[in-house]
Formats: sequence, C-alpha cells, structure tokens
Amino acid sequence: MNEVFSLDMKGVSKQFPGTLAVDNVDFQVKAGEVHALLGENGAGKSTLMKMIAGAFSDYTGQICVLGENVELCSPSAAKAKGVGMVYQELSLAMPLTIAENVLAGRLPTKGKIFIDKKAMREQTIECLKRVGLGHLDPFSCIKEISQQEAQLVEIAKTLGNNPNILVMDEPTSSLSREEVKLLFGIIEKLKKQGLAIIYISHHLPELFEIADRVTIMRDGKKIGTYNIDEVTTKSLVEMMVGRPIDDKPIKVKNQVLGEEKLRIENLTRNGFFHDVSFNVRANEVLGIGGLSGAGRSELARGIVGADAIDSGKIYIKGKEVRIKNMSQALEHGVAYLTENRKEEGLALRITIGENILAPLLKKHTKNGIYSAKSGASEVLEVMKELKVYPPDPTVTVGNLSGGNQQKVLLGKWVATKPQILILDEPTRGVDVGAKMVIHDTIRRLASEGNAVILISSDLPELVALSDRVKIMKEGRFIGELIKEDLSEETILLAANGEGDKLSEDIYAS
Amino acid sequence: MQANTENQDVRKREMGKVSSIISKLGVYVLVIALMILGTIISPKFLTTSNFMNIIQAVSLLGIVAAGVSFVTYSGNFVDMSIPCIMAFSGMIAVDTLKYGIVVSILCGLSTGLVIGIINGTVVGKLKANPIIWTLSVAFVGSGFMRWFYSGKQIYPDVNGGAAAEVFISLSRTNVFGTIPLIVIVMIIFMILGQFVMTKTKFGKQVKLVGSSYEVAKMTGINVNGVVSGAFIVTALTASIAGIFLTSLAKTGAFYNGEGYDFNAVTAIVIGGMTLTGGRGDVVGVLGGVLVIGLLSNVMTLIGINTFSQSIVKGIIFIAVVGINARSLRKLGRDDA
Amino acid sequence: MLGRLESSEGMMRDMDTKKILNKLDYYRIYMILAVIFILMCLFAPNFFNTFNIINILKGMSLNAMVAVGFTVVMICGQLDLSIGSNLTLGAMVVIGLQPTLGWFPSLIVAVLAGSLVGAINGFLVAKAKIHSFIVTLGTMTIVQGLIFLISKGSALSVNDFTLADWLEAPLFGLFPPRVIITVSIVLIFFVLVKYTKFGKGFYLVGGNKETAWLAGLNTDLYLILAFILSGTTAALGGALLAMSISSAVPTLGVSSQMVVIAATIIGGTSMAGGTGDIFRSMIAVLMLVVLFNGLMCLGAGYEVQIFASGLVLAAVVLGESYALYEQDKVKGQRPALMAELKKGAL
Repeated sequence: MNEVFSLDMKGVSKQFPGTLAVDNVDFQVKAGEVHALLGENGAGKSTLMKMIAGAFSDYTGQICVLGENVELCSPSAAKAKGVGMVYQELSLAMPLTIAENVLAGRLPTKGKIFIDKKAMREQTIECLKRVGLGHLDPFSCIKEISQQEAQLVEIAKTLGNNPNILVMDEPTSSLSREEVKLLFGIIEKLKKQGLAIIYISHHLPELFEIADRVTIMRDGKKIGTYNIDEVTTKSLVEMMVGRPIDDKPIKVKNQVLGEEKLRIENLTRNGFFHDVSFNVRANEVLGIGGLSGAGRSELARGIVGADAIDSGKIYIKGKEVRIKNMSQALEHGVAYLTENRKEEGLALRITIGENILAPLLKKHTKNGIYSAKSGASEVLEVMKELKVYPPDPTVTVGNLSGGNQQKVLLGKWVATKPQILILDEPTRGVDVGAKMVIHDTIRRLASEGNAVILISSDLPELVALSDRVKIMKEGRFIGELIKEDLSEETILLAANGEGDKLSEDIYAS
Repeated sequence: MQANTENQDVRKREMGKVSSIISKLGVYVLVIALMILGTIISPKFLTTSNFMNIIQAVSLLGIVAAGVSFVTYSGNFVDMSIPCIMAFSGMIAVDTLKYGIVVSILCGLSTGLVIGIINGTVVGKLKANPIIWTLSVAFVGSGFMRWFYSGKQIYPDVNGGAAAEVFISLSRTNVFGTIPLIVIVMIIFMILGQFVMTKTKFGKQVKLVGSSYEVAKMTGINVNGVVSGAFIVTALTASIAGIFLTSLAKTGAFYNGEGYDFNAVTAIVIGGMTLTGGRGDVVGVLGGVLVIGLLSNVMTLIGINTFSQSIVKGIIFIAVVGINARSLRKLGRDDA
Repeated sequence: MLGRLESSEGMMRDMDTKKILNKLDYYRIYMILAVIFILMCLFAPNFFNTFNIINILKGMSLNAMVAVGFTVVMICGQLDLSIGSNLTLGAMVVIGLQPTLGWFPSLIVAVLAGSLVGAINGFLVAKAKIHSFIVTLGTMTIVQGLIFLISKGSALSVNDFTLADWLEAPLFGLFPPRVIITVSIVLIFFVLVKYTKFGKGFYLVGGNKETAWLAGLNTDLYLILAFILSGTTAALGGALLAMSISSAVPTLGVSSQMVVIAATIIGGTSMAGGTGDIFRSMIAVLMLVVLFNGLMCLGAGYEVQIFASGLVLAAVVLGESYALYEQDKVKGQRPALMAELKKGAL
C-alpha cells in the first residue's frame, strides 16, 4: 500500500563547517499521527527540525509534502507549504495584545481596510479555545500574561495558520501537569483533523501518553523508527545513548575526597528554585542533572551572586559568606562558566587574549596601569593546555569554531585558578576533540584539590565525570544518584522523576 | 573535519587583518588626502599659521571628543547632554567668580561631575536608552538654565571682579608665547585619553562593557561603575571645554556649546569608533577631529560658505557610518 | 501536587494587578492632563476663558502635527531627529515660494520637500541599515545647512495677510481653521494607523521585526513609510504655522524638536516600539501647552515652561526605565512555585 505521507524526507543531510549535523536521514510522518523525535543534545534533531522550518537553503536530499516535492529554503516557503513551527523560545511581539499576535498578518477587516474588532475578538477566542485559554481577554497584552500562557498563545498562533504539519519543540518544558493534559487534549483533536505532528521532547513518560511512533537520532543519523508500543523507556534510552544499559563503562575515578569547599543551605530564590541544599568537597565533581528548565542555571547564578537570592546560606570552607555579585564570587574563588557562550560567556568582537584576561584585570594592574603583557604567559599556558586553535591570542573570538570558542571560555575561568568551579553545559555544541580536551581539564582541576559542580544535559559526560549526581526538577533537588548507581539511563529516568535509584533527600542537607 | 575548520579560521583571520589595517589607518588616510587636497588648492594652506588656525579651531572639539569617546566606547552611543553641560559649567563658573578663580573653576567642574554621575547611574544601572535619557537631561538642563538666569546671559566682567580677568584670559593664554593653552589642554587630554583607554584597567573594562554588557557583568566587572565612569569622564571634559568656551565668548549663556554634540559624534565616527562600543581608540578620534578641522579649512579656502560646509559634514557623517557598517557586515559581524 | 484552582487563583490575582497597572499606564496622559488642567483652572488667573483656550489650541497645533509622523516612527522603534529641520523646511519653502506660485502650490511643494527628506531617511535606515539616530542626525544637519544657505540666515515674509487672518480667526466663534486642520489630520492618521489592517503593521514591525517579517509584512516598506510620514507632517505643520503668520525664520523648529520628543514619550510611546498612538501624543502636546500657558498666567516666564516640561519628560523616562529594571528581575519566574510560596505551603 502506497501511503502518501504528510511529510517525507528522503536522504536529507546538512553540513556545518566541521560537523555533519544530519547524515542521510529518512523521516516520514503520516497525517493524523504524533511522531516523536528523540535524541540527545547534538544528535541532530533540532537541525532536522530547522530544515523543515525552512531555516537552511543548502540542505541536500529530497523533501516531499503531501506527495509534492518541495524546496523548503525559507521560513515563508515552509509556511506556505503548510509547516507550522512551535519553538521553545517565544516569538511573540511583547508590547502587542494576544489578538494582534495570534492574528499577525491576517487581521480580519471590515471592507478590507478597517480592523473588525469584533471579528478579531471572536477569531482570537476561537484560537485560544483550541489551547484551553478561552478565558483570557484577547486584548490583554502579552506582557500581562504568564510565560506559560504565552507559550500556549504561541501554539494558538501557529494553529491559526492551519498547518498540515506541526512541529512542536519541547512544548511542555514550562507547563504544569494540568496544562500538559490540556495540551495533549488539543493534540488529540488535531490528530483527528489530520494534522501530522512532530513532537520533540526529553520527557520520556509523556511520549507514551501522546506519541504514536518514535524516531531516534544519534550523532546525526537515524537509529530507527518504531511504534510506541514496541518500545519501553529503557529501550529508548538505550538507543539514545548507543549501548545496552548493562554495559557499564569503566570508572577510573577512585579519588579520596578532601575538605568541604562549598556548602549551600536552603537556598531559595522565589519562583526560580527552592530550598536547595548540597555540599561539594575538594577533588570532587558534583553533577547536577535534570531536564532543561529545571532551574539549574538559575541556581548557579544565585550562588555566584548574578541574581539576588531570597533566603539561604552559603559556606565556603566552612565560613559563611555573602556573595552579592560576580566580583565577590571571584574573590572567594568561585567561578561560573555560563550556559550560553555567545551571550554571556565570550565577547565575540574581541580577541582570545582579551577574553581570557577579562576576569583577571585587577591582577595584572599595577598602579592603575594594566599590562596585558604580564598576563600573556597565563594566556598562552591556558591556550596550550586546552589546545586552542589557532594558537594565536590576537585572533578575534568570533572567528573561531564552536569547539575552540568553548575552550577559550573554559580557559578564561581556569586562568582565575578557582577553588570552586561551576560549569553549565561546558560541551554544548562542541566537537568530539574539543570535548575530550575540556573533560581532561575538568578532571585535572578536580584532582588538584578543587571542587567542580557540573551542570549538564549531556548524559555520558555526567556519568564519566561525576562522582555523584544531584537531580533537579522544577526548582527543587529531588534526590541524588551515588557513584555506583550512576549511568545514563538512571540519570535520564531520575530527571523525569522516575527510577528507583533515586535517594530522596528533600529535607537532608 | 578539522581541515575545514582550519581553512575557515585562516581565511577569516586574513580578512580581519586587511580590514583592521584599513580601519586603523583609515581616518589618517583621509587626513593625508585632505592635506594633499589643501596643498593643491591653495598656497596658503601649507603654512604654520594656517595649521595653527586649524588646530585652534578644533581644540575645543578635541577636548570634548576625547571625553565622549569613552561613552561611545562603552557601547552607549553618545552623550547628547554635552552642550548643556558645557553651557551650564560655564555659567556656574562665571556666576561664582566672585569667590575667586579657583572656586569658580571647581564649581564649574562640579556641575559636570554631578550631571555625569546622574547620567551614569540612569544609563548604567537602570539601563535607560542613552540617547533618549541624555536628550532629556539636555532638555531639563537647558530649561533650568533659562529659568534660573531668566533667559539672560551673564558676563564675567560685570560680576567677577579680579577673578574675571583671569577667567577671560584662560582661553587667551599662550604657552611658550605661541601655543594657546586650549591646544595644549587638548593635546594632553588626547594623550591622557589614549593612555587611559588602552593602558589602564578602567579602559579595558570600558572595552569589555562595550563589547558585551552581559559578558562583562558575568566576568565580575562592576558595569554600573564603569558606565558611570565613562559618563563622568565625558561630563568633566565637557565642563572644561565649556569653561574655555565661556571664557572665549566672554559670555555665560545657555546656548553655549550648541552643535558640539553633533560635531563630537561626527569626529568619533569618522575616527573609526563604532557607536555600539568596544572598537576604536582616542588616536582615531583625534584623526576624526583633524579631518573635521582640515575639511572646514579646505572648504573655506575653496570658498564654500559655512552653511554649505555643514551640509558636506552631514553627508560625510552618514557616508562614513554607512560604509563602516557595510564593511563590518561583510566580515560577518552585524554590530555597527 | 497542587490543585490547578489554587495555583491559578494566585496567577489570576497577579494578572489582575498587572492588567490594572497596564490600563493605568495607558491612560496616564489623560490623568496628567486632567490634573494639570484642573490645577490651572483653580490657581491660574485668566486661564479659563474662551480666548485663552483658543490660544492653547493654537499653541498646540504645530507640535501636534509634527507628532503625527514622529509617533509612527517611534512606534516602529526608530528615532527621527530631523523633525525640527523638516518643519523649518516646510515653513521656509511655503513662504519663499508664495510670491511666485501662490499659496496652495507652494504648500504642496513645501510638504513634498518634507516627504522627500523622509524618504531619504527611510531608505537609509531600511535598506542601507544605518541606525536611525545617525541618519536623522545627518539629514537634520544637511537640511538645516540648506535652509540657512538659501535664506542666507534671514527671515522670510510676505505681505499677504488674508490667509493668515483666516487661518487664525475662530471659525463659528470657536476653533480657528488651523486648529481644525491639525486635529483633523491627527484624527485621520490616528484611525489609519491604529484601526486599519495596514496601519497595525507599524505596531508589529516595532514590536518584533522578526515576527512581522515571518508574518509576511514588508518591514522595509513600513519603515520607509514611517519616515516619509514624519517628514511630511513636520513640513506640513511648519508650513501651516508660517502661513498663519505670513513669515518664517530659519530657527523655527529648534524648540519643537524637544517638545515633540517629550510629548510622544510622555503620551505613552516608548522608544522600544510597538506601543503608543497618535491621539495620545496630541493629548500630551496639549498637556504641555496647558502647562506652559498656565504657568504664564501664573506669571512664570517662558523659561519655566521649558524647565517644567523637561522635568516631566525626565520623570517619565526614569519611571519607564525603572519599571523595566524591576520587570527584568522577575523574568522567568515559575507561577506554580510562586503560588505555592504565597499559599505558605512551603
């Protein structure tokens, strides 16, 4: 039986400088099905989705929509062919009302010129009802509604264009249980209307509720496509990470842990994280796992003073400290490698040397005069250890490859010789070679008597480097995985709130 | 895979070198071009007295530009309250002449200091739009001056007494008998400015804040303090220039300093600084100031009147920014 | 797991507060106008009479007209510093050409001159992608230079006062034609921009240019049109003023610039774009003129007016920046967590 797929991608590939992000993938979605797309960060699924969205004009391979061969070379072309995208980051116009956003570009008119406010209200409410927001005032501003509601508005907006193919990227990451149920209800309705829905998520339990089929990607390739009743969480995880669970990797570390370097007690920032307590010792790497949006970065920012905390205590080497800003954090030997290297990590317009020495300005200043020369040796040392290419500190950082940029970012913090280093996604978007170098440096730092906190969504990384892993969910620590129980599967399960290896320690410190 | 990356990096680096050479010498290419043009046009051009004229004409602008370059370097575009600071400092200085010349100058400088601190806090901490805010300050300041002095000018010789003599002579003193004090001050400020911007911790911090506010914040830099510092530097230099200007005009008036905002931005932009910050230096700004001076001089020699000159300046202003933006974008950076 | 009802209650309460604050913010200019007007009626001698009210309306005409186009530019998230020189251009051209062409044709030329400058501004901002601050600062200097060049710095005037008298005399004992023309144009463009499908596009372009483009709008066209409108209404305003006094000076537009910028911002249009409207800009101009006029009745000179309006502007800018600063701090909060906190369940 020759079925016409709503979306049929045959042998598509996308090359970036240095990586083949999507490698000869076949991907078909039927009308009326929810097809989940799974894979770790860097597996290639977001690139595949961007292809469908029309973000690239230079992909190879064939794409057919409803049997018709199409070129999805621009966002408007994709939209015209019936592709609707719902991204994680909002693309709404904040100062405008819900109605103006949902109906953007297709405002209803009286006589083709004047806005028909009544029709606007009706049409918007209709769209909003589809996502369970029928109670909202269509003329309230986006500024007035919560982020969760805004996310649903975004979905309503996309649905309003009557797409045939709907791609949803992590749609439930900041929704509550009830809102998720609502969303699933909407998705069921859409299925009956014949939409082909591509659903990207890390929340494995959800997939069993909503998906019909699932495709797993790894390292740019498609691993397989299965009906949802043919798989279990365990088998999905196995396919995502690439090896059977029973195959435990050899653990090298058997470190003797030193004194307590950092202790956090009942740290709270209202609305972001609550009652978080943990400690880290010298020579230890503490991993913090969890799904994206769990609040890990906010926790790190709270610790280093980038955001003000509402309550709780921080102890360094047993002494209570108050950290009000990043400068004070550095004085106490705490460094924080931020999650987004392009916005908060590196100043792309200046050189490698300038970036690396940025936190060390005070150190190399004598009598107010700053001497880059005195820092030159440090810069070269760091660049050498991290194998930064090109090994020229006068190169503008913006010209480096992703992996080298990340190495420079790590180098910057390493050069501050921190005793407590917090890393947030240190190998995101980084090639294999750079990843190895970064991991070696992290191990080196820990073995020299420093404490490392590793926030990461990269499961193999967490397993390989951590001595133990705390799991964070929706702003709280829900438990810890000890070394013996540490594996990619257990972390992933725990991050979803499942698994029996998790030791409850909500009230322990 | 690695080879691909390497080739790309090398290619980008080479392009970076060429364009950085152009932007380094760029403004001085214009300076030289203008000088050649001037020599061709008139025999009067290549004389010491003509050069002295040029430098004198732009010395006040140079003082202002040296200072406001810090605001631009910090990524805050430009300080539109400069004319107001200039006028205000001058008026306060004249008004307090009766307490002696030292007090007078200190009061003038304090005026600038206060406004600079206010600007720095509002733009640095509250992250208000710098153009709108400094325009508002200009508005308030100008209004205040008009109200406080009932729309009138004040004259040093009327109020001042003995200090008035000194005040008026400030802009008329010559060092070593030939070089005007103002010019010396400008040269000192240019040298100082270049030094601070490129060799001090503060200068580096300004560069980082201008390159990326967020990164600077997460690197432990007190961005509020740095931005405040930039605005304070600007305000102080504007004060000094304002005092000189008032002395020159022998009049304290709310309209003193008019036009210095536009001319300073033009000089900075021609000199190769990008308004979004982190790029350029004071040497470039000096070049920009010289270009303005040479341009006016050459145009005057040709016989173009003042009004036409401002038209030419306006066109060059837009053209330089446009070309700069285009070449930066070609290199893949959209930060003009 | 916390029930939806409880968490949404908290959310609803927060939403209501936000809504109320938003509404208050929207109507702030009317409130400010009302307060100032009432104060002046109560305390300023000779304030509340027909003659003075008409004076106020006349005084508001020029800047209200200029604000029409300027507001649209700001709605798009841009800045137009050339409005002062454009209005002077309109004034000088209409007077300068009147002897040769007569009133109406020279008015057309004057307005078109403004449109031309606006088109140049728009093109440079949209296509050459130069920041509007730079472009309009440059064109302002160029146009100002042109004006001084052609007029040789002196004022222009004509001896025909019939039109001037007609424009300024109260029609049917109430509003002078100049005021009627101005308010009509304000209302027409207010409706066009805020209540038509095409006009709404300006708000989307200013609110989120990327989204506007993805929605299929021609963002370049909108930017260019905004600047053309700004140049046109500035020139029209200047020309009307010149026609009503039968003369024009090269420094006409200098003070207008600040007043229009101030009024537009005070009236609720933020430089970030996507908000504001032409009507409220006019109300803000009216408010400032009422303030000026009232202060004058109270015996305060012209100088106080500028100072007072500057303070109002500074206060508004400060207030808006502070509000944004506070908002930024709580961006990304989880309502569920906040609701739990409020319930004291933690």
